[in-house]
Amino acid sequence: MSNEAQLTTMEMHAADALLTEQDVVFNKPSHWQLAKTDLIDGALRWRIWFMLAYQDIKLRYRRSLLGPFWLTISMAITVYSMGYLYAHLFHAELSHYYPFLVAGMLSWSLLSTIVTELTEGWTAFDSFIKQVKLPYSLYMHRIACRNLLIFFHNVLVMIPVYLIFFHEVRINLNTLLVIPGLIAIYLNTILYGLALSMIGARFRDISQIIKSFVGVIFFVTPVMWTPDLLGSKKYLVDLNPFYAFIELIRQPLLGGTPTLKNILVVTLATLFGAFIGLKLFTRYRARIIYWI
Amino acid sequence: MARIDLRDVSVDFPVYNVHARSLKKNFLRVATGGNVSEDTNHHVVVRSINRLNLSLRHGDRLGLIGHNGSGKSTLLRLLARIYEPTEGDFNIEGHVSPMLEIMHGIEAEFTGYENIYIRGTVLGLTRQEIKQQVDSIAELTGLGDFLAMPVRTYSSGMMVRLVFAISTSIKPEILLIDEVFGAGDADFMEKARNKMISLLNQSSIVVMATHADVLIKEFCNKALLLDGGKLKYFGSVDTALKLYHQKENVSN
Repeated sequence: MSNEAQLTTMEMHAADALLTEQDVVFNKPSHWQLAKTDLIDGALRWRIWFMLAYQDIKLRYRRSLLGPFWLTISMAITVYSMGYLYAHLFHAELSHYYPFLVAGMLSWSLLSTIVTELTEGWTAFDSFIKQVKLPYSLYMHRIACRNLLIFFHNVLVMIPVYLIFFHEVRINLNTLLVIPGLIAIYLNTILYGLALSMIGARFRDISQIIKSFVGVIFFVTPVMWTPDLLGSKKYLVDLNPFYAFIELIRQPLLGGTPTLKNILVVTLATLFGAFIGLKLFTRYRARIIYWI
Repeated sequence: MARIDLRDVSVDFPVYNVHARSLKKNFLRVATGGNVSEDTNHHVVVRSINRLNLSLRHGDRLGLIGHNGSGKSTLLRLLARIYEPTEGDFNIEGHVSPMLEIMHGIEAEFTGYENIYIRGTVLGLTRQEIKQQVDSIAELTGLGDFLAMPVRTYSSGMMVRLVFAISTSIKPEILLIDEVFGAGDADFMEKARNKMISLLNQSSIVVMATHADVLIKEFCNKALLLDGGKLKYFGSVDTALKLYHQKENVSN
């Protein structure tokens, strides 16, 4: 009994001491300000995301003799064998079809891996996020950067193509257009990543749905087949944003340029991505930690 | 000067894979853990910090006391800005150095040195800054040539040495510690203790959660007793510990 009485008085005593000092002014930044800080901070901490991205690749090929060049080799095995077989299937000129397919597969594997990984942009790193406070956008840079590094390994499979089919494809000034293409893809990875990772964290089925869709998109997008095979239905391809993004990389690799239509679609897709990504991120950024 | 202010801060965890209906009626108010309830969308919500007020200033060394699930770790993560409060206002001025689950982020395939670089980078250091510190870290671990070997070859004691040396190589303003770790042999414990004390002395504000009364009595000048996410007592260490143990006896 006396114990209980003691407890009550002590609790009352506690109530006096615990009050937050009254003179404290709380600054209440808006959702948008916090989101903006996160985005800027995430980009500025390039040391961290670059290190993490590099570490991801290094870790995967630890103790293997060739290291990350296994990426190049497995890509080479896939595209070289596919190229030969499908040129016959489509009755296409080998010297024409082969470079087209190799460059297309390079672009496709970059895009498809990014999309798949973005659906788990935060959930994949949950233990990290729960231990260290880092900007959420930093993980988008990690994924984008990691996939670009992989792309730079993969792109080496183009070298034999340039050597063998030198009269069909060549490295010229247009090839430099790969750089703005990659920048556009990087930017879109961040923007769409904010949206996809957000939805993927809250609704776990979404990432599974998107993953299975990526498989379908491969077949409906001109990666293996050329758009002119569609004849009068060619508009189906022009509306496909994946096609536009693939052309952004494939055409420069083949020494050509993407069409204005491609660039227009990419621009629209980027604007849409900026809208939806920033909107969702501003609105739900603070909830991410509770969802992952 | 570092300072922490919380006003009416609450943290609610949504739990999505549990159906409200499958829980017992009138949700249990359990001995451990926060309050389980239901939100407007019929999701189960666990309130793990409940309307907490707190002000800490330079020189404060706060010990968090409470049962498992009373909200100690959540509060530490809140102060580390990992969780954002679902309600209430908070101000935290000063660089926060959390030492929560320190084993986390250690890559078994990488060598001790590589792990030092990785952790250093995550903590925001440049390569140059890490280079300057790497020798003193290496010395504290006492692992010698083992640092050039993959961490998976380490014994658990060696692992603790590495992790401890890396995590204490910081210059903290606000230091957050969850369950002070004790492992390793006597020789290392002595070193670790000295390092820990110097770390505590360097920091402006320290908040530590532990079940070891001795540590709280030795290192803290204030204590906060949490129960089900609610502040039960804030003030002197002795009173808080007394209340904590008293409550245990009453409930027994």
